[in-house]
Amino acid sequence: MLFFSRSKILMILGAVFIGLLLAIPNALPEKAREAMPGPFQRTINLGLDLQGGAHMLLEVDLSSILDQALINERTAINDAFRRAEDRPRTEFVRADNGSILARMRTKEDADKAMPLLENLSQPVDPTQLNSPKTTRVTRESDKNIRVTITDQNIEFIRKQTIEKSIGVLGRRIDPNGNLELILAPEGDKRILLQVPGAQNIDEIKERINKSANLSFHLVNEKDSTNERAMSVAMETGRVDASDKYFPFAASNGQLGGLIVVKRTRITGDCLKDSSGGPHPTGPGAVVNFSFNVACATEFGRMTARNINKRFAVILDGEIITAPNIRSAITGGSGYIEGGFTLESARDLSLLLNAGALPAKLTIVEERTVDPSLGADSIRAGKVASGIGLLGVAIFMWLSYGLRFGTIANLALSTNIILIAAALSLFGSTLTLPGIAGIILTIGMAVDANVLIFERIREETYNGKTPINAIETGYKRSMAPILDANITTLIAAITLYFVGSGPVRGFAVTLAIGIVMSVFTAVIFARLLTATWLRGKRPKTLPI
Amino acid sequence: MKDISLVRILPQEPRVPFINVRMIAAAFSVLAIIASIFLFTTKGLNYGIDFTGGTVIEINTNEDPDDEAIRNALIDMGFNGATVQGIQPPVGALDQEGNPITHRLMRIGLQLADETGEEGQGAQQAALKRATDGLEERIGEFYIRNTEVVGSQVSGELRRKGIMSVALALLMVLGYIWFRFEWQFGLGAVFALAHDVILTIGVFSLTQIEFNLTIIAAILTIVGYSLNDTVIVYDRIRENLRKFKKKPLPEVLNIAINDTLSRTILTSLTTLLALVALYVLGGSALKGFSFAMIWGVFVGTYSSIFVASPLLLALKLKRGANTGGERAEV
Repeated sequence: MLFFSRSKILMILGAVFIGLLLAIPNALPEKAREAMPGPFQRTINLGLDLQGGAHMLLEVDLSSILDQALINERTAINDAFRRAEDRPRTEFVRADNGSILARMRTKEDADKAMPLLENLSQPVDPTQLNSPKTTRVTRESDKNIRVTITDQNIEFIRKQTIEKSIGVLGRRIDPNGNLELILAPEGDKRILLQVPGAQNIDEIKERINKSANLSFHLVNEKDSTNERAMSVAMETGRVDASDKYFPFAASNGQLGGLIVVKRTRITGDCLKDSSGGPHPTGPGAVVNFSFNVACATEFGRMTARNINKRFAVILDGEIITAPNIRSAITGGSGYIEGGFTLESARDLSLLLNAGALPAKLTIVEERTVDPSLGADSIRAGKVASGIGLLGVAIFMWLSYGLRFGTIANLALSTNIILIAAALSLFGSTLTLPGIAGIILTIGMAVDANVLIFERIREETYNGKTPINAIETGYKRSMAPILDANITTLIAAITLYFVGSGPVRGFAVTLAIGIVMSVFTAVIFARLLTATWLRGKRPKTLPI
Repeated sequence: MKDISLVRILPQEPRVPFINVRMIAAAFSVLAIIASIFLFTTKGLNYGIDFTGGTVIEINTNEDPDDEAIRNALIDMGFNGATVQGIQPPVGALDQEGNPITHRLMRIGLQLADETGEEGQGAQQAALKRATDGLEERIGEFYIRNTEVVGSQVSGELRRKGIMSVALALLMVLGYIWFRFEWQFGLGAVFALAHDVILTIGVFSLTQIEFNLTIIAAILTIVGYSLNDTVIVYDRIRENLRKFKKKPLPEVLNIAINDTLSRTILTSLTTLLALVALYVLGGSALKGFSFAMIWGVFVGTYSSIFVASPLLLALKLKRGANTGGERAEV
């Protein structure tokens, strides 16, 4: 137990030395840090509760996405029936209990429909071999056919929705890419968003809440001439089939709304670029836009055919403007006016450039900490750990005397340094509970040394020689130290896997602290004791 | 060189008859557990928004805040269930401009009783905005230092996760000790841990200190700490069972507890030192956590001596079966 080979000594001291090097950057100013070699530039990652920032959990409204998938499927089925040469006759095709139910007139119609429906079922992911199909077609009876969206397809849609939402959010909140955002899927339907040091939380929330679904529609002029014509159109049911009523946005200034043609190919996906700028002829501001080639052609055709009619620009269910078409717009670019200020025009173009969110997002959890509060917590943590450290150190000296007290305290300080080193190296995040974990570790770290020293004391009391007592003391303490620390480690690991957010930070520091305290108390302190013993060869132990 | 040593004051071989008072301790523990369960079912816990859902903001009003004015302003806006609580800033706190904060800060809690489902969760954000804008109008400018909004769905999950994590930790520990010792030790340790957890919940019910996620972390740490203590004693018991083959079991247990007594006291004291520093200086965010831990050190130490060890007697630990250790006797 007390013999250390030269290579072992080198390894132990080497580990401590490297730990020291890894920990030092945390105490250096930024300038000096940059001069250090790569791995030694890393510092401890501060959690949002310490550096300030916003932590948000966003829930993606997946049910609306799945509803939409069902509606699309129904449209596809109707289209397939209509386009078929030998058209099968239907009683109805409707959504029913999360799937589509098609009831055909006769058994023969159903026989004809089956291959058409099976044809609609495509591989979920065309880039993969043996990819599962998008839908499952089952014949429930002679006339009833049920089309179910497969679980694999739902899963694919879910993943895509989350992925796309994350992409859009990143472009919206951090268009220049310098905020060090964290955006990650969390569980099945949530997205974790962390914005360090965020100052303008309200603006960020605004950008999350807007879907930014943009589309250009022709106005149904016949039904939209006045309010009365519109209510007639709505009452007679004409609106439900191909048209839809949309209200004007508050910023537009006009009251009421318009009935527009639902079908359009000009949507937010057409945008190549947009920007906010001053109005070219009047006061206020506009959003300039340019379309990609396909949409530019389409838009040119649409405007050429409908001169002197209006088209409505609809954003998130509201008409922001509905200008008159004076001539065909063929260049694929133009501007949208609609009572914008320069700021609101720029905000909108930012959202449009980032793309529309595929589903509505709800903030289900928010924890925002101001940087000043974070700084307070760090300061309080430093003071508390300083005092805790000092108190424990004095206590160890009082309990075990200068010699062994010093050994224990050297082990304790090495422990703190190694924790800092490990946190820097692994890039794990230090949170406020994490600081609590370190302070707790300070108190508990000496436990291993206390165990060993108590045992040595006991062996000395039983009449063993110093070397013998120390030897047996270390040997006999190994099992309880390992058992005790492994069980605590189990608790820490459980905490990490089940806990969330700041609690995880606590689990990490606690676990690192446990591992480091065993190393420093059992190996490093033993090396110190052995070195002292070899140098002094004491007749009695000052313990 | 002359060395002073504090703990030399303690006798080197104390023989405190811990095991003899095991019936009194058992009665005390059972009473405490019943009281805790009674408190938990009648008074309940003061759950934080982590578990109930809701909104809490901490604001700096740049002067000592007028609790009554803020409360009235909130009621005026229709937030009838709002709570208003002045809190002391942590040691050396600075405000957003770097000036020291010498006055109290204000913590405002909003509960939306009727919020259900996703619609309601959006409403929570809207209510937060309404509250801060309305307050600004009524009491003048203030600075928001901290915002926490937890939706009801999330809080439900956090509650489930919290209970699960404690249960899972206990189960895994049971497995480990079973593997390392005998089954009686495993059961004894887990009983002792459950005892600590129940008593901790009891104390939180009694004091009505806010019970939130960090308290779950504290409870798990208490589990770890108490276990640490128990395992040390158990290890000594296992060793002594081999050493004193002739002595009756209660006496062997008592010797083991006494052998490890000075270590138990020393480690508890150093841990307490660090925790008290944290409690006094850590600011309001860590008060609950450090309180729970301080309590845990006491209750964990008590349970290792008075619950975990006597339980081995009750569970009829067999001599001779305890050769699980790997070290030969010297």
